[in-house]
Amino acid sequence: MSEKLRSIEIPIIITAICTLLQVIPYYLDIQFLDNASAIERDWMLLIVNMAVFVGVISIGQVHGRKIMRRAKNWEYSIILMVAMIIMALTGLPIESIGLGLDNTIYNFLFIQVLTPLGSTMYSILAFFITSAAYRAFRARNIEAALILVSGTIVVMSNAPLFTSSLPFLITWKNWIFDVPNTATMRGVMMGAALGAIALAVRTLMGIERGYLRGGGTD
Amino acid sequence: MSILEKLQNINRRYIYLLAWVFVLFPLLFPLGLPVPIGRESKAWKEYIENIPSDSTIIVTMDYGVSGMPELYPMTVATMHHLWTDTASKNFKIIVVATWNQGPLVFDTLLDQMNPASTYGVVYGEDWIELGWIPGSETGMAALATDMWSQTPKDFLENRPLSEYPIMENIKTAEDIDLVVSFETGTPGLPEWLRQWNTPYGTPFIVGCIGVSVPGMAPYLASGQLAALMPGLTASGEYELLIGRPGLAVSGLDAVSMSHLLVVLLVVVGNIAFFASKSKGVN
Repeated sequence: MSEKLRSIEIPIIITAICTLLQVIPYYLDIQFLDNASAIERDWMLLIVNMAVFVGVISIGQVHGRKIMRRAKNWEYSIILMVAMIIMALTGLPIESIGLGLDNTIYNFLFIQVLTPLGSTMYSILAFFITSAAYRAFRARNIEAALILVSGTIVVMSNAPLFTSSLPFLITWKNWIFDVPNTATMRGVMMGAALGAIALAVRTLMGIERGYLRGGGTD
Repeated sequence: MSILEKLQNINRRYIYLLAWVFVLFPLLFPLGLPVPIGRESKAWKEYIENIPSDSTIIVTMDYGVSGMPELYPMTVATMHHLWTDTASKNFKIIVVATWNQGPLVFDTLLDQMNPASTYGVVYGEDWIELGWIPGSETGMAALATDMWSQTPKDFLENRPLSEYPIMENIKTAEDIDLVVSFETGTPGLPEWLRQWNTPYGTPFIVGCIGVSVPGMAPYLASGQLAALMPGLTASGEYELLIGRPGLAVSGLDAVSMSHLLVVLLVVVGNIAFFASKSKGVN
């Protein structure tokens, strides 16, 4: 009996049923399936919410181990753990004791720490992109020259410094966006969609089992 | 190493330093360059101006603090536009977020804009904030079928939706006339379209970061996306169009100078490349 319960077919059947419960009501209007699909979505959302706690436990394990072993850059792990615990505790929705979104410490951490850090992370891209453009935009062959020309036009068309004196750049950029870019992106999207359909069919039929047993093939 | 080779391989640290100087300079000494208006910002403004009266609009904050430098200015400008028209056109605005930091970003906006005193809009009657919708695409699908069970209470006051007049006749995606999304990635427009536009026909307009713009093109061409606000430059143009210069306009000089640096470096690199090639160095 226990062998049967541990059978690989059971999770495959559960996956197939759950998938079909989302796919069929998308195309057919059957009340019974609609209701079942809605219930399944609620279950899924509960699981997602529980996964937040799994994330917290995982961070605690990874960085806790790092601190215990004094691994490289372990000092940063202490900052991370302290910030995570303070933010989680001060953000708890218990307004009667001064916690929650209006808590002073929580607000300070969000506005004075998290926001500038997030903005900095994003802004660092400007340095990398400048350096990458300098190295990549070089006309070594025809294909590279095409990328160089189209890329430079798009870059220039995005800066008022250029478009105010060279307004035709906007027209050129619009053409690049509307014609070659749209055509290419459509191809990419359709290719990805076909790939996703193939993967879904393989998963439904139990051929694709990478998500089971830690990526095993059985 | 010859000078031509050096110009082809400038140390990245010097490039970073140059980028820092080129961005900082116009922030300290604004250049006040003229700003030509592009078609995207014009279309965005016209779309919002032409939203029919009595429309119910969802504004979704699909970004976190890392997206704020580029998306926050357009969010502020769009909310200004919507709230300004709310009294005359009787809009109902529902704010949600599919990114968990979205409500916190919107809190920053509320502190800055103070809609009750600035625009005279009443919370719970003219607009409401439902907070974070967990579950990515699954959450979007659940919100479409039953908004009340997905978010039984609002985000700001934590009271049941039944206590708010604005939610009286709003239950599913069929009751929504437009979704305005500000987004940096996934979940974003493709997920919204699959769960809202295709089954219910809900129109969408999207403000996104510059790197996401190429991926939006097919949706714009197909008509699934009604208007697109592509990045900071378009935000600045939009701020000028609605007569409320703000954060985006103040950043446009920095955008210009950083783009100028990119073009200069590309030109220098290519001149050095071709010069050294003609001399047989490469």
